[in-house]
Amino acid sequence: MANREKNYFDPKVLAGISNLSLRARWVVEGIMSGIHRSRSKGFSVEFEEHREYSPGDEIRRIDWKALGKFDRYFIKEYEDETNLRAHLLLDTSASMDYTSDGLTKFDYGCTLTASLAYLILRQQDAAGLVTFSDRIESFIPPRAKRDYLPQIVHALETRRPGGETNVGKILEEIAGQIKRRGMVILVSDLLDEPAPILKGLRLFRFKGNDVIVFHILDQAELDLPFEGNILFEDLETANLNVIADPRAIRQTYRQVVEEFTNHMRKECHDSSIDYQLISTSTPLDRALASYLSWRE
Amino acid sequence: MSLFFLHPIFLFGLVAASLPLVIHLLNRRKLNRLRFPAVRFILLSQKRISRSYRLRHWLLLALRTMALVLLALLLANPIFQTGAGLFAGAGPVSLVLLLDNSLSMTWSGDGIGFKKAKEAARLFISSLNDGDRAAIIPTSISGKEPIRLKGEKDVLLKEIDHIEIAEGTANLSAALGKAYELLSDPAGQKEIRFISDLGLTGWDQFSMSSLRQVDPAVPLKAIRVGRKQPPLNGTVKEIRAVGQGVGVDLPLHLEAVVANFSDREIKDLLVQLSIDGQNKDQKLTSLPAKGETTVSFQTRLARAGSHIGQLTLKKDGLAGNTAVHFGLHAEDKLKILVVDGDPQTSLVQSETFFLTRALNPTGERESARFLPTVIIPEGLNAAALDSYQVVVLCNVAALPDGFVAKLQNYLRQGGGLLIFGGDRVQAEHYNARLGKILQTPIRDKKLAGEASGEKVGKFDLTHPALQGFSDTLLQESIKSARVWGYSRIAASGKSVLISLGNGDPLVMEQKIGPGRVIFVTTSADRDWNDLPLKTAYLPMVQSLTNYLAGGKRGILDGGINVGSAKEISLPPSYVGKTLRITKPNKQRSELVLGAAQDRAQGSFDDNDVAGIYRLSLAAGGDKEAGTPQLFAVNPPFLESRLDEISERELQAKLNPIRAEVVPVETLQQGGTRTDLALPLLGLLLATLLLEGWVAQRI
Repeated sequence: MANREKNYFDPKVLAGISNLSLRARWVVEGIMSGIHRSRSKGFSVEFEEHREYSPGDEIRRIDWKALGKFDRYFIKEYEDETNLRAHLLLDTSASMDYTSDGLTKFDYGCTLTASLAYLILRQQDAAGLVTFSDRIESFIPPRAKRDYLPQIVHALETRRPGGETNVGKILEEIAGQIKRRGMVILVSDLLDEPAPILKGLRLFRFKGNDVIVFHILDQAELDLPFEGNILFEDLETANLNVIADPRAIRQTYRQVVEEFTNHMRKECHDSSIDYQLISTSTPLDRALASYLSWRE
Repeated sequence: MSLFFLHPIFLFGLVAASLPLVIHLLNRRKLNRLRFPAVRFILLSQKRISRSYRLRHWLLLALRTMALVLLALLLANPIFQTGAGLFAGAGPVSLVLLLDNSLSMTWSGDGIGFKKAKEAARLFISSLNDGDRAAIIPTSISGKEPIRLKGEKDVLLKEIDHIEIAEGTANLSAALGKAYELLSDPAGQKEIRFISDLGLTGWDQFSMSSLRQVDPAVPLKAIRVGRKQPPLNGTVKEIRAVGQGVGVDLPLHLEAVVANFSDREIKDLLVQLSIDGQNKDQKLTSLPAKGETTVSFQTRLARAGSHIGQLTLKKDGLAGNTAVHFGLHAEDKLKILVVDGDPQTSLVQSETFFLTRALNPTGERESARFLPTVIIPEGLNAAALDSYQVVVLCNVAALPDGFVAKLQNYLRQGGGLLIFGGDRVQAEHYNARLGKILQTPIRDKKLAGEASGEKVGKFDLTHPALQGFSDTLLQESIKSARVWGYSRIAASGKSVLISLGNGDPLVMEQKIGPGRVIFVTTSADRDWNDLPLKTAYLPMVQSLTNYLAGGKRGILDGGINVGSAKEISLPPSYVGKTLRITKPNKQRSELVLGAAQDRAQGSFDDNDVAGIYRLSLAAGGDKEAGTPQLFAVNPPFLESRLDEISERELQAKLNPIRAEVVPVETLQQGGTRTDLALPLLGLLLATLLLEGWVAQRI
């Protein structure tokens, strides 16, 4: 776990992002939200709910009364009033479990998600996590507690990719559960029908959320660099196989992918949704830096 | 127009053309599996490019296959021939041209076939390159000619110019055998071209087994000089004399068998007979399709000796040998000296009455072959025996002194002596004086009653004097005769021609040098037998007399075929002499006669020209009277049959050689030969460039 955590919080990545005036961005976001009541990091003022204890939680936050009542450890959660409530939505469908160079899209997405959570929590903003495939796998509501990060990391570490993708449906479902507007960050390969996805994203926007889409694709998915006749087997759908000569279709394939990403980019842009296509071969710090630069 | 390869072994490389397809199939079998998330994009891509992709894919496969095919063809070095089928520039060529100069070529190609054939031959020779060699073989060769391969075009062209129609049948065995013999040594490309009308007659006589060596690897191309439309064609199949034979002032009956080889009836065909250049008779006839008819002529020869005969067919558009030569040797009238040993005042009762009538039944001098002169024994000393071919002694009691020596000398010079017995014959005198002539003594006379006479027993039908007695009617006739009186002699065996039922000789023969003696042991009249009353008497008397005169009758020599050997047989006096033979084209040859079977004989085989060949003594001496002075040589009558051998029959005849038949019309003037290596190389490069371009586009 220590190694994984170290991976997710690579100091080079985080240092690279800190240097890009992240703070100024949050200020702008704070002005737009009109509320900035965070006074101290990790300090709660309003009870929200109980949750089951997980390793890493502070002992002093255990609700001893609840222990006496249920004979189980519960932690009392308090809601912070912050500038930002960010929902990090990570696609964990089987299609994310692909890599052409050692780092799967899922690993890349986890790293990105954790990095974003860290950055958000570090700014004393609230960050939550939703992992999903064709259903919601886990839901961690946003909190602005500084010790909230281990929960998010734990949820990421215990999650393995699997299941089919149904992004549009999930987005609608999550949108129904988010009561307060904030920021929604979707990390997914978006390998699904574009229309439902865009519909879901627009729903977030309709509810006043800022929406950021990190479209994660492996470089091989962008370039199709293979040679020879290959039987391609779909990662999610059984019996969806196709024999193809990559050399013969490469040019067209790239056009198709480009059309898809362009379509998503344009539709997002038209809906004031931030869209960032990131290849897993792109260094994480540069991906975040380029995104933050663009946000700025 | 044809295509051939200089290095056909490389054509096996065409198998490699299947390699791209095989590789393609193998690649399909060893697929790599890959779990991939964006399969939907791949499906979408394939859907977009499916049609053009498949098209390019198959185009690429076709281009690669084509490239391999072109490479194999390039290495095999194809040569494209148009027109004459000229020869390759690559490597020396050894070419043998067989030029059909048989008589049937006269009528090939609508009358100009032989000219076309020679033009084709010239074209082949002209197309030879430096280092190439060729030989011209006319099909009339005997196989002994000193023909060799040579590279001098001008010499070869002159050889073609000098080849003429040979009037004979193609000697294909000799010609083809010579071709393979010439091509047995040279290395490099070898070819045989046979320019011919492919007449059936020449191939009828051809057999592959007659060839000493055959090389099936040598290409054989038959250049066919055909006909647009089968012409009317016919010829004289046979000419023969019937009736009394050929004699001076005798009616000469000739029969000509004329054959029609065409599929149409030949109407109003004029058949003309000429002798010694003068028209004697002509007949108009019609010939059914594929049939024949007999045309009869009658004429008369005015003088003895050899005559030149010719039968000519006259009809517009008639192909085939229309003029046939033949020789006639007319026998002069044979003069017979008949000695009557028992003359009577009544002719009927005279000893020679029946004999002289048998020799000259009509009593007319003009129509008779035998001119008997009857004398009594007292006139023998005064008789000039040399004026007579045969002396007949009929019941002569004794010969005058001095005559026996004269008779022996006459016999030694080839004269004939016929002796009849009778009651006057003095056996002791004959035994004493004619012992050397008879060689067998007369023992006694046997006389019986007329009713108890002996019948004839056996005939020696193999004897030349009795050849005419093979007819059953004649045999029955002579067997019905009764002989009741005859002289008994001790002769037996081969010398007896006819014997009686009791075995005693009736007719016997002795030879005195070239002279011949026949002794008939019974009488010439009816005193001792009833032979003169029998039908067989006349032919027997004439046959025996004719034999004694040398066995020579007038003959009609229908001739031999061009190219065949003429067997010449002359009296023994010609042994060792040189005979000069003058051919129709005035060329002269000499033939030394050798001895065989009591005759002077020789064989003359230089009969390559049709016509009349004249015989004479080289030393300038005169030939004996009664010997032929000429013989006729004619084209084989089947050579006038213009049917062509079919390609299937030709292949069967030539098996295992494969022959390609090419019409002479395809031999265009100045036909070209193109080495396709360079165009193929260009095409290969273009294919490879296109393949590269298409491969890039996939």
